[in-house]
Amino acid sequence: MNIKADFPTLIQETDYGTPESTAEKQVTLTVDGRSVTVPEGTSIMRAAMEGGVEIPKLCATDMLDSFGSCRICLVEIEGRNGTPASCTTPVGEGMIVHTQTDRLDAIRRGVMELYVSDHPTGWNEKAGTGASEFDAVAKSVGLAENRYGVEGRNHVHEDGVAPGHGSLAVDYIARDESNPYFSYDPAQCIVCSRCVRACEEVQGTFALTIEGRGFESRMVAGMHEDFITSECVSCGACVQACPTDALREKTVLEKGMPERSAVTTCAYCGVGCSFKAEVKDDEVIRMMPYKDGKANHGHSCVKGRFAYGYATHKDRILSPMIREKITDPWREVSWEEAIAYTANEFRRIQYQYGRAAVGGITSSRCTNEETYLVQKLVRQGFLNNNVDTCARVCHSPTGYGLGQTYGTSAGTQDFDSVEFTDVAVIIGANPASAHPVFASRLKKRLRQGAKLIVLDPRRTEMVKSAHVEAAYHLPLKPGTNVAVLTSLAHVIVTEGLFDEAFIRERCDWAEFQDWASFVAMPENSPEAVSKLTGVDPELVRGAARLYAKGGNGAIYYGLGVTEHSQGSTTVMAIANLAMATGNIGRPGVGVNPLRGQNNVQGSCDMGSFPHELPGYRHISGEAVRDIYESLWGVKLDDEPGLRIPNMLDAAVDGSFKGIYIQGEDILQSDPDTKHVASGLAAMECVVVHDLFLNETANYAHVFLPGSTFLEKDGTFTNAERRINMVRKVVEPKARYADWEATQELARAIGLDWNYTHPSQIMDEIAKTTPSFAGVSFDLLDRVGSVQWPCNEKAPLGTPIMHVDGFVRGKGKFIRTEYVATDERTGPRYPLLLTTGRILSQYNVGAQTRRTENSMWHSEDRLEIHPHDAENRGIRDGDWVRLASRSGETTLRALITDRVSPGVVYTTFHHPDTQANVITTDFSDWATNCPEYKVTAVQVAPSNGPTEWQKDYNEQARQSRRIKSHLEAAE
Amino acid sequence: MSLQPASTEIAARTAAVISTMKDLEGPLLPILHGVQEEFGYVPQEALLVIADALNLSRAEVHGVATFYHDYRKQPAGRHVLKLCQAEACQSMGSDAIAAKVKQALGIGFHETARDNSVTLEPVYCLGLCACAPSAMLDGQVIGRLDDEAIDEIVAEVRR
Amino acid sequence: MSPTIYMTIYIPGDSGALALGAEKVAKATAKELAERGIAAKIVRNGSRGAYFLEPMVEVETTEGRRAYGPVKAADVKGLFDAGFLTGGQHRLALGDPEDIPFIAKQTRLTFARCGITDPVSLEDYEAHGGLDGLRKAVAMAPLDIVKQVTESGLRGRGGAGFPTGIKWKTVLDTTADRKYIVCNADEGDSATFADRMIMEGDPFVLIEGMTIAGIATGATKGFVYIRSEYPHAVATMNKAVEVARKAGVLGATVLGSPNAFDIEIRVGAGAYVCGEETSLLNSLEGKRGVVRAKPPLPAIQGLFGKPTVINNVISLASVPIIMDKGAVFYKDFGMGRSRGTIPIQIAGNVKHGGLFEIAFGLSLGEIVDEIGGGTRSGRPVKAVQVGGPLGAYFPRELFDTPFDYEEFAKRDGLIGHAGITVFDDTADMLKQARFAMEFCAIESCGKCTPCRIGSTRGMEVIDRLAAGIEPEKSLALVTDLCNTMKFGSLCALGGFTPYPVMSAITHFPEDFKPAPARVAAE
Repeated sequence: MNIKADFPTLIQETDYGTPESTAEKQVTLTVDGRSVTVPEGTSIMRAAMEGGVEIPKLCATDMLDSFGSCRICLVEIEGRNGTPASCTTPVGEGMIVHTQTDRLDAIRRGVMELYVSDHPTGWNEKAGTGASEFDAVAKSVGLAENRYGVEGRNHVHEDGVAPGHGSLAVDYIARDESNPYFSYDPAQCIVCSRCVRACEEVQGTFALTIEGRGFESRMVAGMHEDFITSECVSCGACVQACPTDALREKTVLEKGMPERSAVTTCAYCGVGCSFKAEVKDDEVIRMMPYKDGKANHGHSCVKGRFAYGYATHKDRILSPMIREKITDPWREVSWEEAIAYTANEFRRIQYQYGRAAVGGITSSRCTNEETYLVQKLVRQGFLNNNVDTCARVCHSPTGYGLGQTYGTSAGTQDFDSVEFTDVAVIIGANPASAHPVFASRLKKRLRQGAKLIVLDPRRTEMVKSAHVEAAYHLPLKPGTNVAVLTSLAHVIVTEGLFDEAFIRERCDWAEFQDWASFVAMPENSPEAVSKLTGVDPELVRGAARLYAKGGNGAIYYGLGVTEHSQGSTTVMAIANLAMATGNIGRPGVGVNPLRGQNNVQGSCDMGSFPHELPGYRHISGEAVRDIYESLWGVKLDDEPGLRIPNMLDAAVDGSFKGIYIQGEDILQSDPDTKHVASGLAAMECVVVHDLFLNETANYAHVFLPGSTFLEKDGTFTNAERRINMVRKVVEPKARYADWEATQELARAIGLDWNYTHPSQIMDEIAKTTPSFAGVSFDLLDRVGSVQWPCNEKAPLGTPIMHVDGFVRGKGKFIRTEYVATDERTGPRYPLLLTTGRILSQYNVGAQTRRTENSMWHSEDRLEIHPHDAENRGIRDGDWVRLASRSGETTLRALITDRVSPGVVYTTFHHPDTQANVITTDFSDWATNCPEYKVTAVQVAPSNGPTEWQKDYNEQARQSRRIKSHLEAAE
Repeated sequence: MSLQPASTEIAARTAAVISTMKDLEGPLLPILHGVQEEFGYVPQEALLVIADALNLSRAEVHGVATFYHDYRKQPAGRHVLKLCQAEACQSMGSDAIAAKVKQALGIGFHETARDNSVTLEPVYCLGLCACAPSAMLDGQVIGRLDDEAIDEIVAEVRR
Repeated sequence: MSPTIYMTIYIPGDSGALALGAEKVAKATAKELAERGIAAKIVRNGSRGAYFLEPMVEVETTEGRRAYGPVKAADVKGLFDAGFLTGGQHRLALGDPEDIPFIAKQTRLTFARCGITDPVSLEDYEAHGGLDGLRKAVAMAPLDIVKQVTESGLRGRGGAGFPTGIKWKTVLDTTADRKYIVCNADEGDSATFADRMIMEGDPFVLIEGMTIAGIATGATKGFVYIRSEYPHAVATMNKAVEVARKAGVLGATVLGSPNAFDIEIRVGAGAYVCGEETSLLNSLEGKRGVVRAKPPLPAIQGLFGKPTVINNVISLASVPIIMDKGAVFYKDFGMGRSRGTIPIQIAGNVKHGGLFEIAFGLSLGEIVDEIGGGTRSGRPVKAVQVGGPLGAYFPRELFDTPFDYEEFAKRDGLIGHAGITVFDDTADMLKQARFAMEFCAIESCGKCTPCRIGSTRGMEVIDRLAAGIEPEKSLALVTDLCNTMKFGSLCALGGFTPYPVMSAITHFPEDFKPAPARVAAE
């Protein structure tokens, strides 16, 4: 079967004009003679559209609440006076509505004539695309002329403006091209406020407003600033909402309207937004959020919406390359030569050093199908279990902690669940930066009255920003998560706030009692731990009471939970809290890890761990091995293989010599960079399969050019376990999609793989993995997406888990003893460094740095409290040296009271900074997830980059030389 | 990307105004009135402080401040003279009155005299419609404006 | 009996009287009293509304009150010399103020105390029947209060004429944790000053009315939104609210009852459109004063999303007398569906300008010619604009129109807030039509297109008309534009601006003839 993406035309989504009503009661009315039945509370406009009658409109769109400003959508209702707007008038039983009468035609034409009198089209000037909603409505109402002429007051021309009377004389505003992705032409603005409302209602940033009033009314960003300097986060919601070309993607203005599109899934964070990738001439013109996308419902952020330019960046390597030694320049070769060379090397190494001397790293950036193939290559081809994934460094404690307590290694809810949440708890996460589309949904719920508790060393945007104010912010010292969470449990238990009925029914009562007696111990009280955690005990008590008794409580957490030496313990502490308060198993509650990368969930699901086969089944299980052994025709190793850090250790020891790394930059993303570098340097065949010559490739012998998500079919699984389709919209620039390259390699080492389409790989996954049994590309094509488990019991997937009981049976309470990390401050390293992400950049920045997103964040900065800066004589913007026991780097300081005294913070998006030179090799006791979030450091003024940074940069420059390019240059 | 309000005198005085009204329901307009009373106009910098204190975006505060004509972007002259230009006053010759005043002061509506003595503004009804034409000088109401009254007003603002 | 006990001098503090020199009169009087060593109390009362007699000074004598006016500061010495404190004869003597024809002809229900009492004296208020309505209300069930208001036939005096009782019933029937009473005191229409007069002259009647509304609907908080152009009204209301709070009329236990109600005075910021109820709500919330689409009705989702009664000053100020005297008493005044009394405000070029409260039904001609006494300039009346800047211009031919909501609507006009501006024959109706568009352009909130762009285009097209450019085409375009604005606008600002424009064009076509023709005709 070959379901090659075939998308000859542009997907046009129906705009019903106003949001759907969820009322149960149905109302029947007549629109232009047609009988329509819709839920009570539906607008006449929407009812008409559902009945097949499209009422012209400009200020209405179903992404936003009705507003009623454009006055194009007026209708007549029998028995009522006047001409009410159909967008703001709800349906009534038996109502008889007329949408087309002479009177309505005249009003609509009259309104359009007014619009045109203040618009470039009235001047017969070409502006924009000529294909906007505005242009379409002007045509549809039959507007023939502009009788007002062009001499009057207008916003179109700079000259000849009649003087304003009575107020601000701000008529003409120059075009704003400051945003790299879209332009704002005020001359074309019709002041429908769709952009302003989108920024408020959908995105929740409130960066736009209407300035002035009356004829002077004009949309402006911030306080009449350039978009780039305003509060705008460039999510694109305003551009999407604009019915004219006033806000328009620059690519569309430059290259014209797209001609065809396909629905696909964003390859950035774990939210997994659906987009229509819109294409013209085999080039992506724009990414439009897809309204039917169940994770994002038509919203997006600056990365998914705009930052796809890396796919065509000049840095992309499109030809395979090899070199004998990493000190040699690269030599471009054919795919055949590269594959043959790699296969030979791996065979040689296994022959020479043993079967376990090679391994593979799967990517949480690639598709499920590609990930599955890499682990299959390792297990079936290399005949060992030396496969790991970068999820190791982010969410492995989630898998472990939730697996232990609930029985499933994944979040319990869907994102829609947040709409029913009364109290949200955010722990060690900053969704406004890292999961922006989810943050928008959460903020919307907060504006509806839900309360928020934030546990974070930093005062993030979620603690306080426009229309967001956390009820409680617990600014804990990095590394004290377990102490704080246990003290929350202490309050819940000792104040009797737990949900006994829930616990007795769903959990093991004896285990609960044991746990309760543990958390109730005086040393776990908020007062007792406050010295360690730095959190005011009253805040802890207040937060505990609110979470326990404030209605539906939902916990969302991120890497600030997992990337600690007690990461798994923290996850279990969170799970305990949810069980103790009965906040599991229904909409609005749950425990929800916010996954960092697009397919962290999927890569974990696909058996990317050395001890687990797909579906989290331990390799030691004979029955599970049987399934694969009979299908793959090999005997599988029943012992777990090496984790990433173990592979590097083994490499340093000389027993591990070859590695295939797909879509992962371990040198930059894994802790203790120097150790990683020496491990890689000790290997004989490092194969990097990636889009760019990443930092790891500096140590590689083979480079296989990768494919972007735009160039292949497959699936990603997001943080809510949702399996979303990825569809090929352009041909792979380097000939092979990643799954094809892996297959070539597998065949070269003698495996009989014959996949002709990723759907066949998914079929194999479904056949062998119970929780995926019902999944197929056919199903996804039909229903859009499903959340696993998807099988006979749940043919359309499982939005919420543990509804009637925990997957493991009884929920398990586990004691969570706080053990301070070995990483402690002292006289030499008196500050604690923690790390995070910024909105415009993504992870190690390999993609986003190759887009205009760098305009917002061109370097990593060290956030430091004014007090600590003052003590060290550091001024804002100064270069500082950041040193830990592991190493040192330099970067510029940003003085802010967002961080507490004693805590410093930085992002890790830029390789120049190499923040992971600083981080230590401490890691989670259960999963080896590195302790990125706590490092004892010292900060001192500096003149510029360190010797190490200079050396490293020189080495990187040397190792990136490509022979043919060199020859050309020389 | 948050423009944090700088700690200046304007910020401090604005914060003092806010502190007395922050707990009102819907405090933005009273605060803007208070700020205008404090400074004689609403400084841009004050808007940043207000946005931060009320958890609003600066766009929102800007949108509100520019909607209402009372809020000044710049300080007015020492005196503010408002001449009613609404219908009841029109029926009693407010046009001619306005022309005379403009000529006497040498400025038009929405302008401030070069010596900063007076700002002239139109106003649309002072509720003195049975004693038209009317005016307001620095909050003091004046009815049945005639040449004599204009002379007095001009003398007053020049004093 | 010592004669000093009667020594009370009333000098209005109403801003209309102040605009005519009442402050100077008060100062001169105080000076005179001091110099002559007379112990007398000066009370700054409100105005009785006969502005052609303001500043009207009254003295309390053994025979009752005696009025003198219009008094100038220079007249004060002479008044003392004439023994006005005991009702002495003087050329400005008006006799018993109740006998002044302009006052005697009125039916003063809402304005019963206005101009008579000390506005901020609660004792004075009670001595004149104040709080009787509220006392009855605190003993009644909310639904019974609502019924009584409904039965009185009281309709919103702000302009729309919506039955007040029905609005209250909706708020009463909507459950919520908090409800509001909002008093719309954003009286922006030219020719209207009734709200201002009540707030300056009898603020407690408004406080009492709002409190009754609160008890009737379950609301515990009231806001009075007063335009910033009324600083004196703001000051008086603030003072009165403070007095009422101290006296227990407002607060946690209204008049000792279990009802809680408090009032806060808010000041607008220069936006006529905030007189529109939904934009007023936005403004109170601290937002841009743009109009909200209805539904949802404010009675269901109003201020801060809570059920809200939003009524005009006069509507609320009429409630105490309805509660005191009963629905039937009130309903017996008026005609058709327009029940009770209406404070007509006669303004502009008129001899006897002022506020005239009377039952509905007087003809426009009676109001202008008989009560108003024709123009102040002495020239013939050309047109009267009824209902403020959004009201139609009526020619003499329509002076038989009775003052009634429905009768005015039949003639493409509206009563609005019952303000009447009189123009003499020097008025240029094209200029007035242009001003209607200009005013709309200045005050448009900018939300809906017909109003936002249409008003500016309206000015431009009328300018072209005035300049004689393509007159027929321009006239047709104005007519089309008025149609678009009337049926297309979101609120009354854009929707009613066509009334003055089209009425001027319809009734005074000669003023819209091309400029050269007009010049030739003169």
